Amino acid sequence: MTHTGQAFLFDGVVVPFEANETIAVALDRAGVVSLGDGQGGCAARYFCGIGACQACVVSVDGTRMEACLTPAREGQRVQSLGSVER
Amino acid sequence: MSGPEVLVIGGGPAGIAAAIEMARADLAVTLFEQAPRLGGAIHRQPNDPSRRVPVPGAQRQRWQALSDALAASPVEVLCQCMFVGVEGNGAVLIEDRANRRIVTRNPAALVLAVGGIERVAPVPGWHLPGVVSAGGMQVMMKSTGRAPQGDVLIAGSGPLLLALAAQIASLGNPPVAVLERSAAPVLAAARLLEAPAYLLEAAGYLMPLAMAGVRWRRGAAVTSIEATADGRLSVATIDSERRERRLVVDRVALHDGLRPNSNGAKAGPNGPFVVSAGDCREVLGGVAAIADGRLAGRAVVAHLGGSPAAGDATEAQLVRERRAQATLNGFFDFSGSDPAKLPDETVVCRCEGRTLGQLRSILAAEDPVSPREIKLNGRFGMGACQGRFCTEWVASFVAHQRGGSPPAVAEFVGNRWPVKPVPVSAFVEALVRHPPSNQSE
Repeated sequence: MTHTGQAFLFDGVVVPFEANETIAVALDRAGVVSLGDGQGGCAARYFCGIGACQACVVSVDGTRMEACLTPAREGQRVQSLGSVER
Repeated sequence: MSGPEVLVIGGGPAGIAAAIEMARADLAVTLFEQAPRLGGAIHRQPNDPSRRVPVPGAQRQRWQALSDALAASPVEVLCQCMFVGVEGNGAVLIEDRANRRIVTRNPAALVLAVGGIERVAPVPGWHLPGVVSAGGMQVMMKSTGRAPQGDVLIAGSGPLLLALAAQIASLGNPPVAVLERSAAPVLAAARLLEAPAYLLEAAGYLMPLAMAGVRWRRGAAVTSIEATADGRLSVATIDSERRERRLVVDRVALHDGLRPNSNGAKAGPNGPFVVSAGDCREVLGGVAAIADGRLAGRAVVAHLGGSPAAGDATEAQLVRERRAQATLNGFFDFSGSDPAKLPDETVVCRCEGRTLGQLRSILAAEDPVSPREIKLNGRFGMGACQGRFCTEWVASFVAHQRGGSPPAVAEFVGNRWPVKPVPVSAFVEALVRHPPSNQSE
């Protein structure tokens, strides 16, 4: 019922998501804890969950956004900041 | 409804209570929420309505009453909209995230109800993936209705540690341990008889933990976290008898209390009348947030020449909650690790990757550096979180090194918009849609 059969791409890997999920929740359920190279030499990762800490910022279809606030959408291209800069 | 336009930022209990109060006085209220749904951190709604995390009955009833009243009100609710700041000309800037553009409004008043900031005191390794704030872990759990996977350690200080531990235990994954920094004797809990609601809530958390065999270890703390080769977290801990112990877990949730959030709360002389409400003004919890939101709404109504509701117990409720919160805080210790014992390689500013060793060398300079220099030259508080997660700690470290009282957080971060990073493309999109004209609104 909540299985949407939908997915987005994170650094080229298919990540399925359920209805109303954010990108951060879908990645966590898929076992993706490190969100690749992030800011300040630290790995990007989920931390505060409310968009305050900016630790989970990723590129969503080319724009930097907090994974914890951004709803997952079918076919979205999500990239770690490190992979965008390369 | 033709009253003056007022805006509320934040769709938690304080913001919703303020919005309802102002709508009752016939003001034209728009409420902006950054998340996809209302609720705030405390009343975060599940992604799947059939998977709901058990919360105390009183808390559920408060949310039901608030959301019913909001639904019956003419308040316009816009989600996925982030507050950017108040411009020099008084315009309030909002980032409409779904449409990827900046929206400007010129309200008569602005209520900021953006919630508190979770304090997490630095320990070596707190920047590693798998280490989250307790609030962050709780928000995800409320959204999914599931406990986090793997072995979980909860540490730091505050009632949230207990609440989170009990909730994930009831969802089938009790934490490996709950480490509470404060060693204040729990027998003093008798003082909580002054605040029976909190006593009841605490009992409701302690019982499932006891049943799951989880101990609430008081006087214990995390001293460092390292990543293991197989992707887990090796955590060094110390207990009240100074015994050291290592635990290997999958997740660590840290939390050292909450603090107010005044980022963006200052509007210039041309700006709207600004009132802060709820935990962002004073950290008093969810019950107080509703009362505080109501009072903020009334302050706006009074300011705009209306007649606010009066004569009820709202003010008294806030006073009562303030007293209860002060009693509650006596059982906790939000100071974090002794900075003198933290190694130089401890990351302090995670956004810019700045370490305690770098902070120590800046402070060792002969001429005392100002908070602005610590930010601009040292890059502490310079990063994307805009100092929310390090400046308070840096300020207290400055006082620790030099003596005297810590500099104010505002001395580091200043008070300019944007209050959070915004893509430049969002401004460009706004300009394309609404080219600037010479006509002022």
